[in-house]
Parts: sequence; C-alpha cells; structure tokens
Amino acid sequence: MTALDYLQFVLAPQVVNGLALGVAVVLVALGLTIIFGLLDVINMSHGEFYAVGAYGALALGAAHINFWFLLVLVPVLMLPLGMLTERLLIRPVFHSRDRHVTTLLVTFGLALIAEDLLKLVFGPNTQRPATPIPGASEIFGIILPNYRLFLIGIGAAIVAGVAFVVYRTRLGAMVRAAAYDRHMAASLGVPVSLVYSGTFAFGVGLAGLAGVLLAPVYSVFPTMGRDFILLAFTVVIVGGMGSIWGAVVAGLLLTQVQALASLVISPVWTDPIVFGTMVAFLVFRPQGLFGKLGHA
Amino acid sequence: MHDRLTLSMRASHVLALLLVAGALGAAAIGAALGDTFYLRLATEALIFAGLALSVDLLLGYSGALSLGQALYFGIGAYTSALVLMKVPSFWLAMAAAGGASLLAALIGGLIANRVRGVYFALITFGMAQVCAKVVYNTRELGASDGMIGIPVIDIGLGPFSVSAGSPAGFFLVVLGVIMLLYAASAYLLDTPFGRVLTAIKANEKRVPFLGYSVWRARMVCYLAAGLVAGLSGALYPMLRGFVSPELMFFMTSGNAVISVILGGVGTLVGALYGSIFLVVMKSVVGSWTEHHLIVIGLLFMAAVVFLPRGVIGFIRPGIERLMAPRRATEAPASSDAPLPLKAEEAKP
Amino acid sequence: MTRMSLKAALLGTLAATALTGGALAQQSAPIKVGVVTPLSGTYTPIGQQVRWGLELAAKEINAAGGIAGRPVTLVFEDEEANPSVAVQKAEKLFQVENVDFLTGTVNSGSTLAVAQLAERNKKLAATTVSFADSITTDKCSPNMFRVNARAGQQSSALAAWLAKEKPQAKVFYLGPDYEMGRSTVAAFKANAEKVGAQTTGEVFAPLDSKDYTQYFGQIRAARPQVIYTSVAGNDTVRLLTQLQDFGLLGTVSVVGASGTVTSQNISAIGGAAEGFATGVGYSPQIDSPENKTFVAAFRDAYKADPDLYGADSYGVLFAYKAAVEKAGSTDTDKVRTALEGLTWKTPQGEKTIRAGDHQAMQPMYVVRINKGKFDIIDKVSADAAIGPDACTRF
Repeated sequence: MTALDYLQFVLAPQVVNGLALGVAVVLVALGLTIIFGLLDVINMSHGEFYAVGAYGALALGAAHINFWFLLVLVPVLMLPLGMLTERLLIRPVFHSRDRHVTTLLVTFGLALIAEDLLKLVFGPNTQRPATPIPGASEIFGIILPNYRLFLIGIGAAIVAGVAFVVYRTRLGAMVRAAAYDRHMAASLGVPVSLVYSGTFAFGVGLAGLAGVLLAPVYSVFPTMGRDFILLAFTVVIVGGMGSIWGAVVAGLLLTQVQALASLVISPVWTDPIVFGTMVAFLVFRPQGLFGKLGHA
Repeated sequence: MHDRLTLSMRASHVLALLLVAGALGAAAIGAALGDTFYLRLATEALIFAGLALSVDLLLGYSGALSLGQALYFGIGAYTSALVLMKVPSFWLAMAAAGGASLLAALIGGLIANRVRGVYFALITFGMAQVCAKVVYNTRELGASDGMIGIPVIDIGLGPFSVSAGSPAGFFLVVLGVIMLLYAASAYLLDTPFGRVLTAIKANEKRVPFLGYSVWRARMVCYLAAGLVAGLSGALYPMLRGFVSPELMFFMTSGNAVISVILGGVGTLVGALYGSIFLVVMKSVVGSWTEHHLIVIGLLFMAAVVFLPRGVIGFIRPGIERLMAPRRATEAPASSDAPLPLKAEEAKP
Repeated sequence: MTRMSLKAALLGTLAATALTGGALAQQSAPIKVGVVTPLSGTYTPIGQQVRWGLELAAKEINAAGGIAGRPVTLVFEDEEANPSVAVQKAEKLFQVENVDFLTGTVNSGSTLAVAQLAERNKKLAATTVSFADSITTDKCSPNMFRVNARAGQQSSALAAWLAKEKPQAKVFYLGPDYEMGRSTVAAFKANAEKVGAQTTGEVFAPLDSKDYTQYFGQIRAARPQVIYTSVAGNDTVRLLTQLQDFGLLGTVSVVGASGTVTSQNISAIGGAAEGFATGVGYSPQIDSPENKTFVAAFRDAYKADPDLYGADSYGVLFAYKAAVEKAGSTDTDKVRTALEGLTWKTPQGEKTIRAGDHQAMQPMYVVRINKGKFDIIDKVSADAAIGPDACTRF
C-alpha cells in the first residue's frame, strides 16, 4: 500500500468516521452529564431512556409520522416520563446518606425493568427505521453518508443549544444555582424541587433525542441501552462531571483515540484503552478535563 | 468492647445460626428424599452467597459499592478449575484460588482505592468488564466456550472423605466454607480494625485525625472481600464441573449487589439470605415467565426505596431488642451512654 | 435413582395393582422433552425460533399419535444464554421434571456444559443451533448429538460455490473477535484458499461493535472482490447497513456464516442484505413437498418464516421419535444406539447422524438473498460437505 493510498483510504476516513461516531457518543453522554453534574445523580438507566427514544421513533415512524417532526415529538413525549421517574424514584432517595450509590442502584433496577418491558412490547428482534437522508457524498475522496454529515451538523447545533440554555438563560442560571447550593437558591426564590425534576426530565429528553437520531444508524433492539453506556460514562468522567464542553471534547477525543488505535493494534484492545484513560483520569485528575458544572 | 455494634453483630449471628439450622434441616430432608436438584441449587445459592458476602463487606462496612466483584469470584473459579484438572485436590484448589484472588485484589485495590464513591463503582465495573473480555478472548482458558471436564473430586476432611458429586455431602462442605467465611468476616469487623472501617463509613474526613490510615483500612477491606469472593468462586467448578466467562460478567456482580440490597446492607447475614432468596426466586420465576427481570427489578427498586436496610436490616432491630435486656446487666452503660458511633450511622 | 423416577416407579406399581400390568401405565404416560433455550437476553430471537420449531413438531407428532403411542410434552426453561444458568436449568429438567431428552441450547458454551451434565446424569441431549466444530470434534460427548450443520459443513459448501462463481477471488475477512468468530473465519479461509481464493486482509472487530466504519478504510485499500464475515445478530445489521451507506456494497459481494443473516435480523437490514450469500443447511425456499407443508404450517402458527434454527429444531423431535420407536424404549443407551446412524426425513431433506461423532450429515445449500428471500443457488451433497470424523472419545 502506498503512503498516499494509506492517507486517502485509511487515515483520513478513519478520522472522519471517528468524528461521526464521536458525535453519536456526545449526544448520548450529554443528557447523562447534565443529570450527573446538576443533580449529582448517577443515572444507570440512561441507556434505556436512549432505547425508549429509539423505539418511540420506530413506533411513531411506523404510524407515518414524519422523521423531522419526531425529532421534536419524541423528546417532548419523554419529558413527563423523566418527571415521573424523578418524582417516584429519585426524590425518595435523594436525601439518603449516600446519594450516588442509592440513585445508582435505583436506576439500575429501572434499567432491568425497562429492558424487559421493551422486549415485551416490541419483541426481541432487531428493527431499524429507514435512513431519513439517503445517499453519500464524496469530499476530497472521502466517502461519507449524507445522514452522518447531517448528524455531525445537528449534533453541533444541539450541543450549542443546550450550552446556551444552561449558561446563557435565566432558566439555566436557576438550574446552576440550585446545583451549587440548593438552600441558597431556594431562599432566593428558585423553585428547587421543580428545577430538579425539570432537569432530570431534560436529561431524559436528550437521551430520547439521541435515540431518535441514532436509530437509523445503529438499529433498535431491546438491549441497545447497554451499548453506549460504558463509553458515555467514560466521556462524562474524562470530560468532568456535568461539563458540557468537557463531554464534547472528551467524546470526540476518545472516539478518535479508539479509531486511530484500531489501525495499529487489534481492535479488541481499544475498549481497554478507553477504560485505561478513564482510570488514569479518575486517579490523576478526578475533576476531569473541565471540572464540575455549577462549580467552575 | 460491648457496644451497639457488637449487639448488632450478635443479632446477625443469631440469624446466621437460624440459617445454618435451616440448612441442616433442609439437607437432612433432601438426603432422606434422595433429592439432587434442590440440594445442588441450594449449594449454588450458598456459593453465590459468598460473593454477596464480599460485596457487603465492601458496601456495608467501607461504604464502597463494587460493581465488579464477580471478577474475583471468576478468578477463584478459573484458578480452582485449572488446579482441579491437573490435581484433583480440594485443599490445593482452595489455596491456589485464595492466593490468586488475593493477588488480583491487591492489584485491583491499588487502582480502585485511589478513588471513592461512585467513581469506585465505575472503576470496579470497568476492571471486571476488561478482565472478563480478556478471558473471553484467551484460547488457553477456553475463550468464550469456557472450560468443561473438571472432575468430580473427593474432598478429604481428616478421616472422612466427601464426594463433590454427593448432593448432601457437598452441600454441607459448602455450607461449612461459607459460614467460615461469614465468621471470619464478622470477626474481622469486630476487631478494632473493623471499627476503623465503620468510622470511615460514618465520617471519612475525621478518621485520619484519630491516627488511622483510611487508605490502609480500605485496602485491607478490599483484600478481604477479594479473598472471600475468590474462595467462594473456587467452589463453583467443583459443583458444576465447568467454568465460563459469564461468571465474571456484570450480571453476576449485579446479582450479588441485588442480593445484598434485598437482604440488608451492612448486616453480613443479610447477604446470605438475600442471595438464597434471589437464586430460588430466579429459579421459580424463571420457569414461570421469561420476563423475570421485571419481577426482580421491581423488587429491587422497592427495596432501595422503601426498605433501604433490606429484610434483615428490618427485622434485626427486633432481635437486638430481645437480646438487649439480658445483656443490660453485663454492660449497663453500653446501651444508654453516648457512643463513639451510633449504630444507625453504620448503615446507609 | 432420583426422587421423581422413584415417584414414577411408585405410580407404576400403583397402576400395576389397579390394572393388570405396569407396562400399560408406562405406555400412555407422556414422553417429556426438556428445552433449555435463551428466552431472554441477546439470543432471544434464536430461542424463539427454537421454541416455535419444537412446538410445531410436538403438535404434529401428537396429532399423529405421539411417539410409540405416547404423547410428547415439552418443558421449557430460560437459559439466558449463560452456561451457568443453562446447567442449573438442565439439571432441574433432568432431576425434577425427569425429562427423557434435552435440546435447545444456543451458544456453544452452554451446549458443551450441558453435554457434560447429560453425561453425568446419564441422559441424552442434542443441539439444533450451536455450530462450533468442537462440539462434535475434540469436545465431542457420547451423550450429545448435533442435528444442525456445523461450521465446517457450511464453509465447505460456500467455498465450493465461490470457486465456481469467482475463481481466484480476492477475499477480505471480517469477523467478531471471539472464539466462534475467529474459528468460523479460519474454517472458511482454509476451505476457500484450498480452492484458489486469495486473502487480501483480515480484521477482527470486538463483539457488539457499534461502528464498523473504522475498518472500511482498510477494506477499501485492500480492494477485495469478496468480503467474508462471521458476525451475527445486531452486528450484522450494523455492518451491512454501514457498508451500504458508505457505498461499498456496489463494488464487493458479501458472503458469510449461516448465522450472519437470519429471519431475526433480515428485516432490519433491509436492502443492504440483498446479494448476501451463505452456506447453510436450510432455506424456506427449498422446493420439496415436505418443506412446503412445513413452511405453510409454521407461517400459519407464528406469522413468521422459519429459519435454519426453527427448521433444525423442528427436525430434532422427529429424529428422537424415530429413535425411540426403533429402540422400543426411552432408555438412554438404547436410544443412543438407535440415534447413531439414524436416517430420518426433515423439511431440508434426509439427514443421517454419523455414528462416529454424532454429527448430522445433510445436503448443504448455498443461498443468496434476493428480494428478502433466501434463494437457493447451489447445493452440495451431504458426503461432500461433512468432512472427516475427528471425534476420538467414542
């Protein structure tokens, strides 16, 4: 293989494909990091909410609802689901001594149920909605499907939108205030309880949105929630708990590491590499790349 | 030292004695009826109870949730399997499994104990995932198929010999091993070292000021938990005659955590009851519907939310009250005087 | 003797006193067949086909008078695709339900562990799904039978067809990185190279990979004519749709293992599955009266097409029926002798169990997906596909 071949066929596409995968990971990790950073809650059922979003898109898509409309409809439909989860499961244990562990456990239980329920309702077989934007484009000799280009674009827009809401709006300020010091925020008139359930629902809605967007690429099946979860948690830790920019940088970085590493070593070892990065960060820089949201 | 922690531990011992009595009764009935399946199912439940015990050692006493304790269980099982295929000796297999799991726990502990709380949970989860993957891909260890052909051994106990193939006999051997592990764990926690652990769980920041090393206490606890898991795992291939990478998978670790939560965190004996309950329930519900995850998930969530101390944590105070008046004459100060630590704080 | 058989014996004695002979009670008592198969977890779709195939067979056998006049009942247990669970459930079926015969295991780890358990319980078992060669070669068991085609049979059929279709084809191999994936690729590679194919590269991706696009660069650079893959289930959905999205399907043809594209994932793969070819023991398109009746009955009952798992599971019960009737009892040793060398009819043609390794011999088909159907494009005789008997234990 000539050097030019290598560059054009292997290295450059690898970077671009890694970028597309990175955007997918960031989309899944975004909701997780928000719930993690603002509520200090480990949501082990995040993957299952992602799956619910994908199944929602599948079911409503089968009822001939336009994909573009689903992008809004499914996340909105998932907001009450998130609210309900927060009220029924998170709130009762929110003030327990070890909130991290307790919320982790309770959402782990929810994940078990959700996975089984999805199988019960939709059957065990793999399904896949049609790709909304077919075809592929060639840019500098690199072929990339149009839908992946779209994913990169809409991913950037979603991240920017979320960052705007959290950092630049009054609502975001209330959320950050509640995360930083709930008592102070409450005494300043922030409806802390509502903010908490709203934030959880927002994170769940984002998971659902990721499900809608990624369903055509990664297909839909009951255990799909487990797919991204270790990677998403790694991204959240490396990026810094609750840091939106951290999640973006870490998500893109880690998938690049994975993509490029798979060129030189057996791809099976890319998972341990990602995990090793997580361990290294936990040990040497536990606050992650960007530190904690609401505390920086 | 007789304080409420000792009292709680003794209440646990009463429940453990009940468990042993029940197990002996079940073994007698099973043997009389010539049963095989239920005795061997109970043996398996006890083996997984050992794994749950090790999770409770970590979660209930140093407050560290391990989502990857199956790693040490699996290391014990694989080591035991490898030894048994060369030399069919119970004691050699147990010793090798103990050594291997201790060594692995030393390495794992050095990594995992750099962090705490949820990070500890994620690190232990990740370590187990990666190691399970390595085993899954190692041809010498049977890769994804696991290893079959582990012989049915005879276990020499002084003048006696018990076959691992005898349902009642091996059940009693496993019962003995698991109760020994329980007793050793309980003893460890009742020593001054155990009190340091409890103190760490109550308030980690103050412990260094009392002159104790938090890191060392957590490390010892982690090693003990790894050893308990490894020794329990070593029994598995003797019962089933094979090992497979699934023993290290998250579901095995997760089931142990579920057992501990259902049974009662920080009670030790709760882990044993919880595990037996879970194995039996999975077997019963699993035959009845393939959607057993819904049933288990609901029970588990209900326990976390409504019964945070588990079933044993719920009934143990009653036993403590029954025991307390008799003990009041021995140490009247212990129940009323201000304590260094309240028993409530020892629980999550 | 177990508790349950004691009870059965006791019932027998009671019947003997009530009637004239114990044999009469024995004759009308149902024959129990245990099914340990994944009904939850990733392999659920396969377990579902196994269940359907067996239930249909049991229904038909019972409607036609049962096995040796005795009705057959199936007892299902969920093994969660976990050998530890499989062994526990299988022991329950052997000891408590006192089944005479066990089938249904899917992943080869479960099959091997259950084989050992069957030996220790002195019962018989058969797999209808696991295709790891080891089950009937180096890890063969006198108590385990396999009625489906193993990896070696599948790949020799496919390789023979490939040599005709594209002589000296340049092949790129892509497998999931675990024992089954690697050995399946190795088996096909050996067969293909024997008949002249050239290897242009190989890559093993982790099991459950999300994205295969990271390997597409290497594939493009290797410029293969054919991609061989041994991925399965959801992995196939992702691999094939991503190959299609990236425009690679137009230039290369994809072939693979029998489990790569099945009824479980074909609708999710959609158009990307078109043209995929594989060597397999079954296709719903087999043009025989037996198969047409089978497919019609299967569709009627379950509103779905049978795939190779459903068909092989359907067939196993008829093998057991034939063996029990030949042996005149359900005794393990007698039925084993009857099964060895047994020839019986299945929807996929006549099958014969080779006595030397308990592997079923059957005609192999090369099928290619055309408009969502598995069209048969080549057929290899049973003798040509089977390969040598490498089992040394019995």
